[in-house]
Amino acid sequence: CHTSGMLTPNGKEYAQKIPREELTHLILKLLQAWKEPLSHFNQHIEHHQELPDDSLSKAKQISNMVHELKTGVEKSMGIISNALNGMASSEAAGLSISNEANMMSDSDFIHCFRRDSNKVQSYLKILKCRIMPENSC
Amino acid sequence: GQSYPGKPKIIRCRSLEKETFSCWWKPGSDGGLPTNYTLFYSKDSEEKIYECPDYQTSGPNSCYFDKNHTNPWTMYNITVMATNEIGSNTSDPQYVDMTSIVQPDAPVNVSLETKTSASIMSLWAKWSPPPLADVSSNSHVYHYELRLKPEEKEEWETISVGVQTQYKVIRLHAGVKYVVQVRCMLDLGEWSEWSSEKWIQIPNGQSPPEKPTIIKCRSPEKETFTCWWKPGSDGGYPTNYTLLYSKEGEEQIYECPDYRTAGPNSCYFDKKHTSFWTIYNITVRATNEMGSNISDPHYVDVTYIVQPDPPVNVTLELKKPINRKPYLVLTWSPPPLADVRSGWLTLEYELRLKPEEGEEWESIFVGQQTQYKMFSLNPGKKYIVQIHCKPDHHGSWSEWTSEKYIQIPTDFRAKDMVVWIVVGVLSSLICLIMSWTMVLKGYRMIAFILPPVPGPKIKGIDTHLLERGKSEELLSALGCHGFPPTSDCEELLIEYLEVEDSEDQQLMPSHENGHPTKNVKMIRKETDSDSGRGSCDSPSLLSDKCRETRALPSTVQTQDVREVQENKGGKRSWETQGIASEEKTLLSNESTKPSTWPAAPLPNNQPPMFAYHSTVDAHKIILSTTNVNIASVLMGNEENNQSQYHTTETVHDHMQKQREDNLHSKTDQTTVLVKQNRPNDKSPFLNPKLMDYVEVHKVRQDEEPAVLLKHKENSGKTEKYTVTGNSKEYTKVSTVVDHNILVLMPDSRTQHTSVSQEPAVETPENLQQGQAEKNMSYCLTVPGECKSETSGSEYMDPSSFMPSFK
Repeated sequence: CHTSGMLTPNGKEYAQKIPREELTHLILKLLQAWKEPLSHFNQHIEHHQELPDDSLSKAKQISNMVHELKTGVEKSMGIISNALNGMASSEAAGLSISNEANMMSDSDFIHCFRRDSNKVQSYLKILKCRIMPENSC
Repeated sequence: GQSYPGKPKIIRCRSLEKETFSCWWKPGSDGGLPTNYTLFYSKDSEEKIYECPDYQTSGPNSCYFDKNHTNPWTMYNITVMATNEIGSNTSDPQYVDMTSIVQPDAPVNVSLETKTSASIMSLWAKWSPPPLADVSSNSHVYHYELRLKPEEKEEWETISVGVQTQYKVIRLHAGVKYVVQVRCMLDLGEWSEWSSEKWIQIPNGQSPPEKPTIIKCRSPEKETFTCWWKPGSDGGYPTNYTLLYSKEGEEQIYECPDYRTAGPNSCYFDKKHTSFWTIYNITVRATNEMGSNISDPHYVDVTYIVQPDPPVNVTLELKKPINRKPYLVLTWSPPPLADVRSGWLTLEYELRLKPEEGEEWESIFVGQQTQYKMFSLNPGKKYIVQIHCKPDHHGSWSEWTSEKYIQIPTDFRAKDMVVWIVVGVLSSLICLIMSWTMVLKGYRMIAFILPPVPGPKIKGIDTHLLERGKSEELLSALGCHGFPPTSDCEELLIEYLEVEDSEDQQLMPSHENGHPTKNVKMIRKETDSDSGRGSCDSPSLLSDKCRETRALPSTVQTQDVREVQENKGGKRSWETQGIASEEKTLLSNESTKPSTWPAAPLPNNQPPMFAYHSTVDAHKIILSTTNVNIASVLMGNEENNQSQYHTTETVHDHMQKQREDNLHSKTDQTTVLVKQNRPNDKSPFLNPKLMDYVEVHKVRQDEEPAVLLKHKENSGKTEKYTVTGNSKEYTKVSTVVDHNILVLMPDSRTQHTSVSQEPAVETPENLQQGQAEKNMSYCLTVPGECKSETSGSEYMDPSSFMPSFK
């Protein structure tokens, strides 16, 4: 996966040790890293006639969700200023990464995306329970 | 050549279990002739000789001695005699001591199995004792012996086993095929035969172990995980198993950190060794002296193999809110290991529910909450509930919790009780009221519900006649009627005489056909309550209504009332006998009997000629019933309750009034409508206006002859009824002839009178002809012309007119 290079905590303890901002930043970085490859992937599969229509729509839906999630995280964390800085650096990183992503096969792409989305979900949940522990935590 | 048989020889005698025994013999030559064999035996030194008790059980040429015939301590002297036609021959005696001939059957069900433990190969042999026919005697203790040898060898190795039915053989050579046999013996006697041979191959132990397979890997809380494998055959040698793994992106191979924690053939990865979002490549290797074998690789990412433990602390709480049905709250806790608090693992729950006796579970997905409210349980019923959970993404469902039983107590809330009590009280009140009304107005109600069956209205038929059994009169009455009706009848049918019951006592003539004036309508109220015709026979009352419905008794009633009220001059119109009663009956009952209330107009919409119709019909039916319910249209005054059992002053007065009324007839059409009183057992309510006879009151001599007919009760039956003044004599009008002749039925009680009308008729003498009762002579003439023996009452004798009719 193109995001394998990123240093992300591999277990619960590690994830809990990381300070909040860093974790948020990590999440955003991940989300950002997938923005480009997703759109590229969508373009790619549109030409695949053998895929059923709902797969195509689903893929589009997923890309939208990722984008929305990223925006949501940014807003809820209130890191707009940081994001600007972070964006610049991550943009650069993202570009190189996305090139790598374009070369993946479809199944690898899906596999990597599945894993990374699970990562994001787990980090977000930890964040949530850290910030608001009373809500079903 | 034929000769006596050869000497048989007893082969052997054998006892299976010391309680029974059999002997077999071998026949000698049979001498060419059919030979019988008999076995004789004697006990000890006794003289007495017995014969074999059972030749069948042990087969041909055998004798079976069962329990009853055997004694273990006896010496039997047994001989067999062969007999044929020519002679016989006896075998040598055989002395049998039961104890010495005991030999059981061989053991059965021999099974062999090799087992390896601690690198030592052993052979397990198992068998069963010989079966016995007589199962009850199972107290025998057998001693066993086992022998085995390698297949190719000759020498047996015999091992004494004792009383066990199994044995373990060691010191076997690997790779050799052995053959095994077992035999048994009772405490005294001989050894049984050896059991059939059984072979077994001792495994070699020369091969390396088979490939193990990895069954599954699971993580209970998304922090650690365990993998299990299944070993293959060990190839005869003790085998070691090692688990090796490598992580995604790394080359290094590690070995399982913990083989013990999770049990045999497993590997437990603790927190330190568990990485997420990484693919593990896991293999298991089996090694023994001969070699090793490795399993297929198993790739696993721990994120996706989470299967939590079942939830814990399942509790039930019954909540009883005010004014609402009680409900149950089910709460539980996530499994202890799962770290839900930090959000690392999010669990979703699902519970399933079924009634205790039910078959199918109902699954309810609850989501992430740890409680559930159940509203839809039936009180009093027992339910079983179970819960399980799974991670919210990927992963598999946990096991179900143990069954939890639920039962909602059935509490009868006070509110429900009150409702039921109120309902009960109300219904009992209603029942009371109904029964009370029934009691009070029972009769009327019964009449209401079950209207009396009106009698047939047959003109001129006298039920009393019938009752008295004077058939001649009856028949003569019929005869007088001119039965079967002649062509005259048609004319007769058209006309009818309206008799009004008013102070004036005017007899209103009937109106012409097709001239139903309003007056007429008002006056005319005769209805044929029992004419047998269809409904709508009363055009006066129901012509306009008949088209719509068959019977509108209520309307009739109202019409009656109306018309009565409209009567001026106190005229009241005749009403049918049955009106009152039938009014009542019909009021409640819309369905009319065709005979009771005519509701439909006649086909030609003419004023109904009730009398005639009824007469005609009556003719037909008169003889069909012994219980003649003859009724013809009769006029009666509403106020007159004239049932046969009922006499009132009013009636009386009315009669008097009537008497004083003038007769007048209208035009030339006269009809007398007579109604018979039918024997009525019912209460007076039923037939308040039953009228029996029509009293011919007066015959006007002035303009047109008219006959005033009065109704009266059944004079024969009621003695209460007294006619003041004149002794009225009543008779029935049997028919009307020539439009203006009334033919009356002769009545034995009545006196003679005669009423004549314009068309002169025969003399009374003539009229008398054919009359059964000759002591009467009547003629229907204008009053005055004929003399009557009695005064006051005038009636017409149908017989008088008979000749004229013909």
